[in-house]
Amino acid sequence: MLMRRRPVVAWVGGSGLLFAAAALLLPFVGPSALDWARVWQRQEPDWSILTNLRLSRTLLGLFAGGALALAGSLFQSMLRDALATPYTLGVSTGASLGAVIAIAFDWHTVAGVVGIWAGALVGAGLILFVVMGAATRGGQLSSSSLLLAGIAINSVCAALILLVHGLTGMSQSFAISRWLIGGLDAIERSTLLVYMLVVIATGIIIIRQGRQWNLLAVGEAWAATRGAQVRRALFQGYVAGSILAATTVALTGPIGFVGLVVPHLLRGRLGGDDRMLMPCAFLLGGVLLASCDALGRVLLAPAEIPAGAITVCIGGPYLIWVIRRGGLR
Amino acid sequence: MTPPVLRVRNVGWRVATVPVLEHVSFDVAPGEFVAVMGRNGAGKSTLLDIVAGLRAPTEGAVMLADRALDEMTSIERARTLAHLPQSLRADLSMRAEALVLMGRYAHADRWFESDEDRRIAEEAMQRCECLEFRRRILATLSGGERQRVFLAACLAQRAPVLLLDEPATFLDVDQQLQCFSVLRAEADRGTACVAVTHDVNLALTFCTRLIVMAERGVARDLPTETALDDPAWLRAFSGRLIVEHGDSRPRVRYQ
Repeated sequence: MLMRRRPVVAWVGGSGLLFAAAALLLPFVGPSALDWARVWQRQEPDWSILTNLRLSRTLLGLFAGGALALAGSLFQSMLRDALATPYTLGVSTGASLGAVIAIAFDWHTVAGVVGIWAGALVGAGLILFVVMGAATRGGQLSSSSLLLAGIAINSVCAALILLVHGLTGMSQSFAISRWLIGGLDAIERSTLLVYMLVVIATGIIIIRQGRQWNLLAVGEAWAATRGAQVRRALFQGYVAGSILAATTVALTGPIGFVGLVVPHLLRGRLGGDDRMLMPCAFLLGGVLLASCDALGRVLLAPAEIPAGAITVCIGGPYLIWVIRRGGLR
Repeated sequence: MTPPVLRVRNVGWRVATVPVLEHVSFDVAPGEFVAVMGRNGAGKSTLLDIVAGLRAPTEGAVMLADRALDEMTSIERARTLAHLPQSLRADLSMRAEALVLMGRYAHADRWFESDEDRRIAEEAMQRCECLEFRRRILATLSGGERQRVFLAACLAQRAPVLLLDEPATFLDVDQQLQCFSVLRAEADRGTACVAVTHDVNLALTFCTRLIVMAERGVARDLPTETALDDPAWLRAFSGRLIVEHGDSRPRVRYQ
């Protein structure tokens, strides 16, 4: 008999346990040691450090890492491009451009929303339409036209970021460079809650369509004659992946590597079935980013290394090691 | 004779104003194994794409079991018709069995395939002699092995019409014979098979009917048994083909 679903349960369950363990344990990692007894009795400042700062930051890391890894595996399947990342299709660079403009013009709040977030979401929304418009010809949408339009508009946005960056004063320029590395910060509980709900809802929509992404990974003609609606699937995947990437970039800045490396490493181990790969990528991507951030908190304490710098510093050499060992297919 | 399951009616296709296909009509009945042949650029693959629903014809219509192709949903279409595209990615990181189970997409409206789907996929792999690589990653298989897996996925779809675009072109001789025997067996089970191929002798050996494409349309449409009685149609491919009447079946050889 062909393989049943048992390995899926084991892998997703194991990844889920790691995710839960990270959510419980990582908040205790930080420059100032927390005392269990004081936390238990809800004494200050330990209780607020844990609940207001570390827990929110850990949850942001878990969900942001998960969102990036999930969006990365989605775009890799959908575009049949092993080097695709959540940033490939331009929307997250559009988000970065919006955020950088907000920093450059000192927009602290826009319509009651933090200026950077508002700028990022507006930038992402605009670029979404531009890329979609550029990629659609005569009502047809293909992954190659989407990829080309995305890469072109990505470069334009990256150039505009450099331009804005170059034209700003010292203090904004520093803030922009720091933001572009990407990192985690404690955010308000209500914002975090909205973000987590958006990621969960979008994630469920994506993962439910796992068979469709598997079909697209083989080819568009293949998917169409197996019964998938290719144009609708591409549209759905592009919008869903962009929502994940844009909301994440708005809150954390463009954190590199998680979206590329996590799906890659898992694909080498699990094979390319997105029904197993996507949930595992989400859970383990979250664990990776939250752990990198915890490491950044203690490595040079009291100074902090941004999580975005750690993911790249660890991820790059690790990927090279895996490639040299021949573990990547 | 059983009524046709596939009807191509006066189909035309043009790029801008340049016609590629004009007035193409033919029917295929269950159990037929049709070879679509012709020179490069004769419109074979275009025709197959139109029949598969991948391109809409600019004129005419395709009927599948008495329903117009363009009125069917993608799922209904996939239950009636399976199509093997010409060249598929070689670097796929999924297991062979996962690929074959993709053939069940149109039949299983759930996240994981049922035991019934698994049984059908396994049987298709057995018939294509690829069950032994069910746990292998596709990228690690040879071209011939991978093609058997793709073919098994098409059989697992259990569609009454099977379209194949050059299924044996990149295979070694033994694999070519194996591929066409599987297709012939599938036709004998009642499936209408239509394969684009360039190999005249392969088509004469396994197919029941030849459709020769030339001049933007069907130049000849003849049953295989009597095809070599009047071999003028061979000139549609090349002037250097000769029919050789040996002690058994006549063969085509090269000059």
